[in-house]
Amino acid sequence: MERTPSILLLGLGGAGCSMVSRLSSGLTSEVGALFVDTDERSLPAGRVTLQLGRQQTRGMGTGGEVGSGLAAAESEEAALRRALAGAHVVVLVTGLGGGTGSGAAPFIAACASDTGATVLCFATMPFSHEGERRQREADQAATVLAGRCHGFIAVHNDLLLQQVPADAPMPDAFAAADAWVGGAIRGIAAAFAPGALVSADPSALRSILSTRGSPTLCAFGAGEGQGAAMKAARAAADCPLAHGPGAVTKVASLFVHVSGGLELTSTDAFEAVAAVRAKFGGETSTVLCARTDPALAGRAEVSVLGASLPVPRAPAKGRKGAKSGKGDESQTVFPFATDEAVRRGFFGGAPLTIVDGQDIDVPTYIRRAVRLPSGY
Amino acid sequence: MTPKTLPSLIAVIDVGTAKTVSLVGQMIAGQARMLSFSERPTKGVVKGVVTDLEQLHACVHEVVHDVERGAGRSVDQVYLSLGGPAAEGERVKGLVMVPARDGKVTQKDLQEAVASARRQEPPAGRTTILYMRQPTMLDGKPVASPVGMTGRRLEVSFWRVTMEEALVRLRVGMINGMSIRVRDFILSSHAAACAAAQDADKHGGVLVIDMGAGTTDWILYYKDHILCAGSLPLGGEHLTNDLSVALRVSRETAEDIKCRFGSGVHREADLNQTIWKDGDRGLGDQQFNRGTITKVLSLRYQETLDLVRKDVMRHLEGIFPGHGVRLDQHMLPSGVILTGGSANLADACEAVQQSLGLTARVGAPVFDSESLRKPEYAGVVGLMRAAITDAPPAARRPRGLWDQIRVLFRF
Repeated sequence: MERTPSILLLGLGGAGCSMVSRLSSGLTSEVGALFVDTDERSLPAGRVTLQLGRQQTRGMGTGGEVGSGLAAAESEEAALRRALAGAHVVVLVTGLGGGTGSGAAPFIAACASDTGATVLCFATMPFSHEGERRQREADQAATVLAGRCHGFIAVHNDLLLQQVPADAPMPDAFAAADAWVGGAIRGIAAAFAPGALVSADPSALRSILSTRGSPTLCAFGAGEGQGAAMKAARAAADCPLAHGPGAVTKVASLFVHVSGGLELTSTDAFEAVAAVRAKFGGETSTVLCARTDPALAGRAEVSVLGASLPVPRAPAKGRKGAKSGKGDESQTVFPFATDEAVRRGFFGGAPLTIVDGQDIDVPTYIRRAVRLPSGY
Repeated sequence: MTPKTLPSLIAVIDVGTAKTVSLVGQMIAGQARMLSFSERPTKGVVKGVVTDLEQLHACVHEVVHDVERGAGRSVDQVYLSLGGPAAEGERVKGLVMVPARDGKVTQKDLQEAVASARRQEPPAGRTTILYMRQPTMLDGKPVASPVGMTGRRLEVSFWRVTMEEALVRLRVGMINGMSIRVRDFILSSHAAACAAAQDADKHGGVLVIDMGAGTTDWILYYKDHILCAGSLPLGGEHLTNDLSVALRVSRETAEDIKCRFGSGVHREADLNQTIWKDGDRGLGDQQFNRGTITKVLSLRYQETLDLVRKDVMRHLEGIFPGHGVRLDQHMLPSGVILTGGSANLADACEAVQQSLGLTARVGAPVFDSESLRKPEYAGVVGLMRAAITDAPPAARRPRGLWDQIRVLFRF
């Protein structure tokens, strides 16, 4: 086994492969990339690839059949286990709603977790224009998949694409969507690489993501110029990944990675972490990693991972109050109000109305994390 | 109680989340005339749920007092509208295999089918508030009057609305407390449809969405009959609340801005518009980007419509399992009729077109009093209309077996 904990970025299915191939160019050498699909055409040439279900699909896609996606993965179990062996962290990137993603992802996640790796899954959900059937299949697959991964993050492309200006060209829109996911993955990868000022190892990540099956908090933010780290922390608090449907915004345990140029001071880094904690919690434990990188001159990045153990409300408030009003400061700065009474407006005191698992008294734009036009 | 003994004075009360309205009319030479009308802001109801009985009682009392004074007579019985998510609907069916050798359906067979549908007990703690007729099927084909026809499988079905017994008792008790009898219940969405939808709409197929302040009730008519109905705990107040959170203004200001500048559709051009809160540009006046307003409102409005669509589809899939029913222009040639206060939102119809893909129109009731020709009064006007026609058999509560049979043949 190598000295550096190894991370395997696994792209599964058409959507997963294309996302990993867009991401992998910007990642460090510690991160290996593996492309897995039934469709020969989506496997990039010259990379480590694994084609599933040659017998079942004859090199074509699964045509959206979940059953055939699963059968294809099962037929290549031995090869999959060989490819997964030795990785400490497996980051599974896939798109749900199709055949390969929805069918094979739970199986591959189970295989990876059998080998002892910490499995983190980023799953893109179908666009809302893709119809109810895909949506339903994606939801079902997400439930199964979340139970088999240590961390499961649903990436709602609808939401990510809303964050870019309406007139942005298509590739730019997707690049912006990739930036959120890629940033988070880069943060995790960098945390384990040698040379970090405050380092962590995969077991620390594992301790945060110990409970399987619960939604995971994931956020990424970047900032530059004066106070870059603080700007990055605010951007992370504002990250659409952490505000999608079903996402959690208060967690017990946090994993925070701050990286910046050589000018990054410890004060900057700790202030950024404090801002992240004020937003997301992390009262039980916060694993902190920090590193400087000459390539990041004048810029800073903050990535956050957390498990969704709910923080008991009352003690959390008391402790925040004791922390010199840092929490109050964040209330005015962040567009996402966290206090329930503020979010629910004049329904604050009324009983909750839950429809489809959401408290529908909270304004739609807050629940969908839609950025409102600013300025008058 | 048969139609012959219908009192000449007809009173209806509609208790909504925002307002309580009452209407008293009289049948003069076969024509209904409005005698008096009263409207008061409701107190003690949040999101369609009674939170302060005392306040609500006082408010209903005032309304009744007003109409009695206007009519110059005291009211002894009323029709009460019921709705909201507390009133749950489901389909109950009664099936009879025609025993006669020649397969001729007799009145007794029909009675049996109706009785078997009625035998199904509502869930514990709930009480049936009304039954609404659905088409009678003979061998899987709808028939208007099955007696005398030949077939093997006779199937009758009702849309049964049930409510928690305690809630019904609370409402009835409130009215009885004023020495007034509740003559009957009418489903509020059905009432709205009575005012806003024509018979032709109901014949072809129409979805009536009655979006009030606290709840959104919907009802779907298909081939002259009520197919299903439902309700969501969402309404105009949610639009106002979203706006008050987003703009950080008071509830009253948000309500005012919603009415003046709101829209069910967000357009790029809205971003270039700036509006003044008070318009006098005086001290304390504030500027807002109209894009923010329409964005917040359109998101909520379209989400509500989306939830209505999901609710309708859930019911339809329960009624026609595996048929792949689609909510489209083919099924609903008359599209959507919007009633209730939120139908006044600008571009509401366009929002429906976008979210549901159906044509829409705002259903203002046709009524002799001009002040009531607004969508927010569709509920009370329809209530009156349903009461005057002694409610179409669909909306009547069949009490005894004979009452049901009478109801069955009265159209």
